[in-house]
Amino acid sequence: MKYKDYDIAHFITDEFFIQWIKNPTENNSHFWEKWMGQHPEKRPLVTEAANLIRSVKYADNTEFTDRMYVETFENILKADNHFRQLNPISPIKTSTTPTKKVNSFFPVRGIAASLLVLFCLWAQYEAFNYKSESVEIPEIAMITRSNPAGQKSSIDLPDGSRIHLNANSEIEFPQEFSNDIRLVSLTGEAFFEIEKENRPFIVQSGETKIQVLGTSFNVKKMENESLYVALVTGKVSVDTQDGSQMTLDPNEMLVIEEGGKFQKTGFDPKEVIGWKDNYLVFKTSSLPEVRRKLEQWYGVNIELKGHFDENWTYSGIYKDEMLENVLRGICLTSGMKYKINKKQIILTNPK
Amino acid sequence: MNHNPKLQNIEHSTSYLLRHSESIKVYESKPDVDIWNAFNKGDEIAFNYIYRMYVKVLFKYGCQMSRDHNHIQDCIQNIFIDLRRKRGQLNEVQSIKAYLFKILYRELIRKSNKSKETVHQYHEKIPDNFSIEFSQETKLIQQENAQEKIERIQGAINKLTCRQRQAILLFYEEGMTYKEISVAMDFSEVKSARKVIYRALDTMKALLQAKSENEV
Repeated sequence: MKYKDYDIAHFITDEFFIQWIKNPTENNSHFWEKWMGQHPEKRPLVTEAANLIRSVKYADNTEFTDRMYVETFENILKADNHFRQLNPISPIKTSTTPTKKVNSFFPVRGIAASLLVLFCLWAQYEAFNYKSESVEIPEIAMITRSNPAGQKSSIDLPDGSRIHLNANSEIEFPQEFSNDIRLVSLTGEAFFEIEKENRPFIVQSGETKIQVLGTSFNVKKMENESLYVALVTGKVSVDTQDGSQMTLDPNEMLVIEEGGKFQKTGFDPKEVIGWKDNYLVFKTSSLPEVRRKLEQWYGVNIELKGHFDENWTYSGIYKDEMLENVLRGICLTSGMKYKINKKQIILTNPK
Repeated sequence: MNHNPKLQNIEHSTSYLLRHSESIKVYESKPDVDIWNAFNKGDEIAFNYIYRMYVKVLFKYGCQMSRDHNHIQDCIQNIFIDLRRKRGQLNEVQSIKAYLFKILYRELIRKSNKSKETVHQYHEKIPDNFSIEFSQETKLIQQENAQEKIERIQGAINKLTCRQRQAILLFYEEGMTYKEISVAMDFSEVKSARKVIYRALDTMKALLQAKSENEV
């Protein structure tokens, strides 16, 4: 049967379709976006099928904690060494790669220690890709770093912590932290990789203070929008305006609305922190969201012309992609048209 | 051991760990068969990649079969220890995730099933394994009757058998192909995976239709 004759039951039993919904890749996105461009009448059906698929979830959502992650890894390697002592003629022994030698002779305690190093490295591995910026400003001065739309940067703090600063955002910190506190203030969005030490690290975002010891997390507060704090590793506590304190575990996100109402949710790491690794992610994003994201990401101005369906949403993932290709992707699925004139983009809906 | 070689060792291991951070980039785009082959040949970076990529989803999957988190953690540990010991003799693997799901599933059943029941009998005893939660994003719930519709679908899902729910979860939550489901659920043919899914959906369809007729 051809895809164009599909009804909902066909879509939700088509593995290629489900792959696209669950794990969009360049290949399947290209195929389905092109297909939807050719069969716009099928779009409501596709949306319904996608919603059904996304709605099926595990009832139990226990997370594998970082502690369990390290512990299990350690035990696996430990068993390895033990096994090798008992069975000197194991096939592993015959291997002569340098990696192997490290493992066979390395004491278990050393492995535990190196695991810690490994962990810090994981957290920072993207950081290696960024150039560090040197800081040269008179004593106890405050340093301000800001990015216009279309530009991202990473900043090394005096304590060894690192901040990835998103576009349209600003961060302020002292050249030297004081003896008992590390305080920075943020406008916009940043991803923090904080060095663990005794002085607490505090991010001030508007009226809200986010306090941590050593951890990695994302903070986002755009003008007139909710504050989002998403924790990747470690632990953070958030002091809200009304004086209450919330703590977050890894994979949890705290959303504080402008009015002060707050709630905890889970989050999709790619959607929330993908930006620092140059992933531009739309997940059932509304048109205003798509517009705002593109303006921030590429530093352009987008003008909308014509009537747009309020229920329209867009999902897609782009990595290191040119603006024109992203616009092309969005327009293929939506039937919109785009025009680029330097920094000025016009999106029109011919329908 | 005197001081100097130990120091060297640490330096050596640091550079070795540094290479790990690149491993993701090295293996990210490689097919599972190649990653598995590298692991089988003793490549530690490949092992690290596999552990990092799959240990969390394995644990989540295990939680659908048992409430005992320590037990699941032990089982995961055991299957990795076992795989490492068998390096050099491992068979080719097309989908690492499906294969790991299969051996974890076997391990969990083996460990908690002393009386050697069949898989079917085993599942009958724990009726709430592989529970599914059917829930939509808040954006969609605002539609009229949406909440009611969700509850009806949830009701139909609850009537599925444990194996059907397992297949449905692998299909929609994990995004596995029919081939991968047949591996994870230990079917000998891909056809069987299709059958389980189709039958589950047919059952649900029948239940949903029956209900809406009653209401009219």
